[in-house]
Amino acid sequence: MPAKDLSDPCMTCKEAESSVFVRKRHLCNDCYVQFVSHRVFKRMEKYRLLRGLPKTSPCKLLLPLSYGLSSSVLLRLLHHQIEDLRSKPHAPAGFTLDVIIIEPSTISPSSPPDNERFELFQKQFPLCTFTRVPFESIFDFVPDIHEVLSAYVGSNFTDDSSLSNKERLNAFRSSITTATSKADVDTTLMNRLIVAFAKKLDCLGVVWGDSDNRLAAKTLASAAKGRGASVTWQVADGMSPWGLEFIFPLRDLFQWELQSYANLMPELNHLIVADEKPSETTLTKNLSIDELMMRYVTNQGEKYPGIMSNVTRTANKLQSAEDRVGVPRYSATHANGLVPAPECLIFDVCQTMRT
Amino acid sequence: MAPSCFHCKTDRAVIIRPKNREKLCRKCFLRIFEAEVHETITSTSLFSPGERIAIGASGGKDSTVLASVLKTLNERHNYGLELCLLSIDEGIRGYRDDSLETVKRNAQQYNMPLEIVGYDELYGWTMDQVVAQVGKKGNCTYCGVFRRQALDRGAARLGIKHVVTGHNADDVAETVMMNLLRGDLPRLSRGTSIVTDSAASDIKRSKPLKYAYEKEIVLYAHHKQLDYFSTECIYSPEAFRGSARTLIKDLEKIRPSSILDIVRSGEDMAELVPSEVKKTSGAKSAEEPAIGGCGGNSSNGRARGGEMSEMENKLTGDEAALSRETEIKMPSDTTLKQKLIKTQVMGKCERCGYISSQKVCKACMLLEGLNRNRPKTAIEVGIDAEDEEGSSTLMRQMEQVQLGG
Repeated sequence: MPAKDLSDPCMTCKEAESSVFVRKRHLCNDCYVQFVSHRVFKRMEKYRLLRGLPKTSPCKLLLPLSYGLSSSVLLRLLHHQIEDLRSKPHAPAGFTLDVIIIEPSTISPSSPPDNERFELFQKQFPLCTFTRVPFESIFDFVPDIHEVLSAYVGSNFTDDSSLSNKERLNAFRSSITTATSKADVDTTLMNRLIVAFAKKLDCLGVVWGDSDNRLAAKTLASAAKGRGASVTWQVADGMSPWGLEFIFPLRDLFQWELQSYANLMPELNHLIVADEKPSETTLTKNLSIDELMMRYVTNQGEKYPGIMSNVTRTANKLQSAEDRVGVPRYSATHANGLVPAPECLIFDVCQTMRT
Repeated sequence: MAPSCFHCKTDRAVIIRPKNREKLCRKCFLRIFEAEVHETITSTSLFSPGERIAIGASGGKDSTVLASVLKTLNERHNYGLELCLLSIDEGIRGYRDDSLETVKRNAQQYNMPLEIVGYDELYGWTMDQVVAQVGKKGNCTYCGVFRRQALDRGAARLGIKHVVTGHNADDVAETVMMNLLRGDLPRLSRGTSIVTDSAASDIKRSKPLKYAYEKEIVLYAHHKQLDYFSTECIYSPEAFRGSARTLIKDLEKIRPSSILDIVRSGEDMAELVPSEVKKTSGAKSAEEPAIGGCGGNSSNGRARGGEMSEMENKLTGDEAALSRETEIKMPSDTTLKQKLIKTQVMGKCERCGYISSQKVCKACMLLEGLNRNRPKTAIEVGIDAEDEEGSSTLMRQMEQVQLGG
């Protein structure tokens, strides 16, 4: 049979026309999907093969889903791994996946309630268990949040415990003035909710959908917020101070690579809620530190993708000292005699609660 | 009506502190700035009574403020320090000759002795000549390596074991970000410490202004009417405003405390650097200056575009190579054990006697390259073309006698 005459063959299989150019290689669609899957496959080895874990039953992992690109792609990839495992007769027990969704409409009033999407996701990924919780359920899952709010006295906030949970949370969140603190408090609260939920389900760990860019931005943002020491669990794989393993299986993939992957899966792509693009015209001083860093990593990443992923790798090399991890300290803001940023307060109160 | 000072409540506030936006009068600002530097010095026990200190002075705002503040504090709190100024003359006409004039005036104003160490007398090359030879690209490497040794040699000449430099909080924060971007763990582990001792030299360096904001240093210099020089090195115009620097300026707009937060993160992260990486750091620090040009405390761009793309290419290359990697088993583990660890041993450069991990120190290596290519017809005042190699070696041998003695 004569060799196929291809103008630009895939560099891996050499049997199809290449369609994606990734990391200096021209790949066809199938090989690209393979490329993405493999990068996540490698990261999940420990849990698929239950390395150093009891082999009798599958380990339970929790995946927080935002309906956004990264977490949806991660769900697709891990679901596929589970399918694969279950189809083999003598496969190890592997892992099971619980999915938690913090109802977007309870986080931001701009996202309308979306029951349909929730059902579509469930239909698409039948091997996972889905749970949807409102943001204010943090009061039920994390009881000490009550005290955190009562202890926090902002310039325009006094906690009123007679209000409903929803109103109380909203009053607290809207009392925070700067974009950075707002974003920070929301992330902290959501993380605590997710962690508490994972503990309730008796999960071994949480799989986060952070892409390489996101992790690099997180590393730089943590440093900028005076919490550089937390990268050992916020960016690196391993034990978190909450006693759960944090796993970041998308750490070897850039955002745009995830997008190209999603584009090849129409059934997945139409489920994904596109990220709100931060407006280019926003004044720098009105951005949150996280947004600034994401913008920096995205802009610089176009020219220097390797350097950005090297940031993530560097953060991964830092060693967590058991006793130091999880003791986030006051930021220098406090040292300067300024009002402590609310996120520090939450951390600190939590710290006192634990000890 | 203008608001009154946040502290004394009597005088009119003329300054909004960049650090926390407090409104202060001139007197209170100067006093608080000095008190904070005093706090840094006492909390880290930076100086001992009777210690002789050389202030690395460039004539720029940072080192001028450092000299002024140290003099004030030394008198106010009886540190008992003997202060003197130490300047390096890189031999850059139109930049250093003018800034040295400033330093000379400072020496009189502050009544401090001044020592100037020139690249030409130490190495037989001025930076102007180096640039004529190697071009503008990469000349900062020479300048950085030379400066490190020159400061040590200058201090040794004065018989001083402690050099203070004007690095400020912005500089330190920038270094932290740069090292994260470059993935340089050894430097991340030592960049933030206030004192940098190194195995390679018995002269310690410290940065008493490491918690002071650049903007406040400028304000201090302005309100104290200090005499300083504000032109940037003329050999750095091609250096684009360092990526990290831009980022830090943006962060400062969002949250002014970010700069100190980054310094804090840097200090915390330094503790988390694995010890096997840390070990090699002390030895290396004496030899290599940080990448990104001017290792002094002027505020020009640190990272050249070239360095970022060079590193990017290397990283992509590494990744491509990774897929071609094959695992090779060693025949037996006895051979493995013998070769296992090669530790860095500090010795002396066989040419100049400066402490080095290699046979020949970095400065001598660079000099060798320069001298090899020096046009034989070059005209120099005072030194014949044939003698020049001999003369710079002689000069360095004399330095060795002083260092050793």
